[in-house]
Amino acid sequence: MINHLHARLTYLTVLLLLAGIIFTTACNRSDSTGQSGEAAGEKLRIAVIPKGTTHLFWKSVHAGAAKAGQELGVEIIWQGPQKEDDRQLQIQVVQNFVSREVDGIVLAPLDERSLVPPVKAARNRKIPVVIFDSDLASKDYESFVATDNYAGGKLAAQRMAEVLQGKGNVIVLRYAEGSASTTARENGFMDGLKEYAPQVKIISSNQYAGATMEKAYQASQNILNRFSEVDGIFCANESSTQGMYRALQTSGKAGKVKLIGFDANETLLKAMQDGHLHGLAVQDPFRMGYEGVKTAVAVIQKKPYEKRLDTGVVMITKENMDSPENEELLNPDLDKWLEE
Amino acid sequence: MNITGKKVLSQFGPFLGLIFVFVLFSILCPPAFTSVYNIKTILTQSVIVGIAAFGMTMIIISGGIDLSVGSQIALGTVVIATVLNMGNTGAEMGFMWPLLAALAAIAACGVCGFIIGRFISRFTIVPFIVTLGMMQIARGVAKWIAKEQTVTTPPNWLQDLMLLDPQPEWLFFGPGVWITLILFVLVTILLRYTVFGRYVFAIGSNEQTARLCGIPVKYYKTAIYTFSAFFTGIASIMQYSNLTVGDPTAANGMELDIIAAVVIGGGSLSGGEGSALGSIIGALIMAVLRNGCNMLGLPNYVQEIIIGVIIVGAVLVDRLKHRIKA
Amino acid sequence: MQQDTAAAGNWLLSLENMAKSFGPVKALRQVNLQVKAGEVHALVGENGAGKSTLMKVLSGAHKPDSGNMYLNGREYKPGSPAQGRLAGIAMIYQELMLAPHLTVEENILLGLEKTKLGFLQNQKQQVHEALAWLGQEDLQPNTPVNQLSIGKQQLVEIARALVTDARVVIMDEPTSSLTAADAQALFGVIRRLKDKGISVIYISHFLEEVFGVCDRYTVLRDGETVATGNLTDISTPGLIRHMIGRSVDELYPAIPHELSETVLQVDNLVTQPYHKTISFALRRGEILGISGLVGAGRSEIIRSIFGLEKVHQGQVKIKNKPELQAIYLNPNQALNADLDLLSENRKEEGLALNLSIATNLTLSALGKYAKNGLLNLKKEQAGAADWMQQLQVKSQSPLAPISSLSGGNQQKVCIARLLHHDSDILFLDEPTRGIDVGSKAEIYRLIQTLAGQGKAIVVVSSYLPELLGICDTLGVMYRGQLSNIKPVKAWTEDDIMHFATSGMETAS
Repeated sequence: MINHLHARLTYLTVLLLLAGIIFTTACNRSDSTGQSGEAAGEKLRIAVIPKGTTHLFWKSVHAGAAKAGQELGVEIIWQGPQKEDDRQLQIQVVQNFVSREVDGIVLAPLDERSLVPPVKAARNRKIPVVIFDSDLASKDYESFVATDNYAGGKLAAQRMAEVLQGKGNVIVLRYAEGSASTTARENGFMDGLKEYAPQVKIISSNQYAGATMEKAYQASQNILNRFSEVDGIFCANESSTQGMYRALQTSGKAGKVKLIGFDANETLLKAMQDGHLHGLAVQDPFRMGYEGVKTAVAVIQKKPYEKRLDTGVVMITKENMDSPENEELLNPDLDKWLEE
Repeated sequence: MNITGKKVLSQFGPFLGLIFVFVLFSILCPPAFTSVYNIKTILTQSVIVGIAAFGMTMIIISGGIDLSVGSQIALGTVVIATVLNMGNTGAEMGFMWPLLAALAAIAACGVCGFIIGRFISRFTIVPFIVTLGMMQIARGVAKWIAKEQTVTTPPNWLQDLMLLDPQPEWLFFGPGVWITLILFVLVTILLRYTVFGRYVFAIGSNEQTARLCGIPVKYYKTAIYTFSAFFTGIASIMQYSNLTVGDPTAANGMELDIIAAVVIGGGSLSGGEGSALGSIIGALIMAVLRNGCNMLGLPNYVQEIIIGVIIVGAVLVDRLKHRIKA
Repeated sequence: MQQDTAAAGNWLLSLENMAKSFGPVKALRQVNLQVKAGEVHALVGENGAGKSTLMKVLSGAHKPDSGNMYLNGREYKPGSPAQGRLAGIAMIYQELMLAPHLTVEENILLGLEKTKLGFLQNQKQQVHEALAWLGQEDLQPNTPVNQLSIGKQQLVEIARALVTDARVVIMDEPTSSLTAADAQALFGVIRRLKDKGISVIYISHFLEEVFGVCDRYTVLRDGETVATGNLTDISTPGLIRHMIGRSVDELYPAIPHELSETVLQVDNLVTQPYHKTISFALRRGEILGISGLVGAGRSEIIRSIFGLEKVHQGQVKIKNKPELQAIYLNPNQALNADLDLLSENRKEEGLALNLSIATNLTLSALGKYAKNGLLNLKKEQAGAADWMQQLQVKSQSPLAPISSLSGGNQQKVCIARLLHHDSDILFLDEPTRGIDVGSKAEIYRLIQTLAGQGKAIVVVSSYLPELLGICDTLGVMYRGQLSNIKPVKAWTEDDIMHFATSGMETAS
């Protein structure tokens, strides 16, 4: 009997512990946003759903969204899928926000098709959806706020043609299956290369880096082992660029092979300073978050908004990376917006 | 009396946990948490893990484990998509082709399960290793069939299985939820009231005893893995319905959620214990947690920590239960 | 307790009024135990009498609820088994606690390693002395213990006790898995310990051993000390009477049964590990005993016929059934062919410990309650309850977990499974291993009754008195070779030992 009781007590302890965790974190959250269930009545609540939460890119989006939230006086709820390449989990996050009856959703879909039904469900529940970063294979949303990825890819091709002086072998390391934004970049790059440097040969364009830097690193090592006579490499996002850069470093080819990537982080900028990275097509994630939320609010408040908003791409090189406007783009003051 | 009391505790321990978590979130969350629509959302979100957990429950009771279910689900979605595209004439899909596609997915998973079961019983390799291998193989085959891309499919009725607001309206819950309920009744009967179920428990509790009592252990092991793979196949249909595409990278790591559901529900990894009721409750607990954390706007790491605590906590309770018995 | 308590100071070890409860279960109510220096003290009692609990309290694994312990006149209050060990109490459990992959030396020194800057110091001398003390100079300190026989492993445990300077060594059923020769060696070692002034607390079900090796005794019943004294002042029946609280008039009842036609004929059976050819026949109503040393291949014969172990060749003819090639046998077929087997290893093979009594009881004949694969649970429980009642299994309900039963009752469930399946030919492997005297008597009676009902029974046992007590015919095994099967009366204990150790029959 005593032992019996003991088991129940332990069970209770575990549950209480859990309650504790949830409670404290929940309280922290509501303190920090100054929001709780009851007060939310007047303020608009906008859910911003990124593809993931660990990349710096998404932190910039978050900061931009937060800035818009403060300017417009709306509550921003930031929630990504638990695992970065899991469509299923992102579907669930969207569903949960629909259940929660937020006023608007700003979403970067992990997959152009899988996210169609939940977005449609949101619309059926009269919740406007603004898509950002990557496109969706349906027109059930209000607005698309993103970089013109195809143009970004072309910009990268232009730079590649420049650094290779119009000849050589080039590898395109693709990001992941089913990701519309990176596919557009890759296509833009390959089309652009034909246009700017017709003599350049693309020797590989069917390998995928995968969703994490670790996977990208391994894929890069394998591809470098296979194609030893490569002159230039293009990677379509942050993690694959970093994975490839690491692989070039470990095989002693950093600096010798011209590497052009997409999106920036500290490691990549350092590599650029060292001359190991020859160009980064940089989007403006901060602006994406900012404009995404602004558009969503405009839709809700029935103000005019744009159906398609280009947030622009800039080619950063070693030469221009220190210019003031690029400095602002590369090192936005995130803390100012994220820490209240 | 005392014994039945204990039984009740072990059966309803997870249930109390579920109620606790639900009540906790009801207090903390905005009222939308307890709305009918949100309940529907939670139930629908636990369908995939729940159905796969039924199969896993049988395997875990028999003292085994299957690490390949996540990959099998991905393979299933790809098979469905591929078969659907074969039958795609540009016109309406009709009823038969999608049904055929669904059966093909169940068959594909069944083949995986059969191979696993045969290997385990024929060559006496531990299930962990065999299914670890199958995890890679099934994933690889899925990518191969899908040519390393998601396979897009024309609209068909399979895509409506997981809808939150189903047509016709009187269904109330999506067909996936009803299918889960039917499978739950089926598995409960199977485990409690059939010779097959009894043998599953006997093999998991003590394989040597099972042999001594004349149970053809090898035959049954193959049957268990094959049969539970059918459930994985059904789960893959639901996964497809959710994604609307065949996705070779789907359900990556989902096997751990599924195993966790079974363990939270009282399944013992050393075999001989577990129930369909416990496993579906385990799946529900995790769905409630995810949903509730989303509602509260908690960051992902909190969800991960909480689910981790729940798993270890559930096993701890399980241990204590054992100590009482001993 | 006839002794004057004022003389407590003279005892090496003295336990007074020990009590210990687990929830509502009072494992120990009022236990007194006094041990002199250099004596071998027998602690006897039925299963569940509290011996194991008492020893766990003594070794420091459990904390007593009340009572005092004195070691060498000083109060002894161990907080853990490690402290108990340091104080000089060494425990040798039934299941040996050795690390199988480590060597003899490493096991002896486990937890006692002396280190310098983290490196192990040479302690070979100590190990060597301990082994020499035990008369085991030939035991190589660098042999991994999993290569040793159980008997030698036990000596390693005892050597470990010596190295820690133990004053009291507790042995829990030390001979239960030993061969006769190893048991003899152990008795020699116990005498040496005694000479060294070390006390031994000897727990055993084998009363012959108790009388052979011990000086004094204490009997526990239901958690209380019921008797203590010199073994020279008491007889075996007297001791049993104390243990079970009533007299056992006949431990081996003689229930009349007739031997009739042959029901099992085994020809040219060749099995692992000796590859000798074995043939024998079994008649209806016959109880055939198979004796021999552990490892002589006794169990292997019946296990092979039942299809649990690999068979190289042989034919098995069961009455009214077509002849079977033994190579293809499996338990499923054997059960269908009217054979059944009681495993010697109750915990590892005989029972599925986390399932219920009913489930364990009906597992080999579930078909009785199934229709189209669906079970009738009510009927099953009723069937199980019926058999539990017939064999007097003490339990609240057929749905109780089998692990809640005592060893004796568990064994009854195992036997009930055989009776429930209702095969005509029963192989019983060590049917009374590790169970208390009361249950033993019941099982002997049952075996005889079954023979009276016309079952043919083979009993394999290491315990010769029981074979002589209940069997009609007896065969002895020596390294896979089976002696002629003769009526029990035609064997003497000397003949049996002679064949068991040499493989030759004594000329008569």
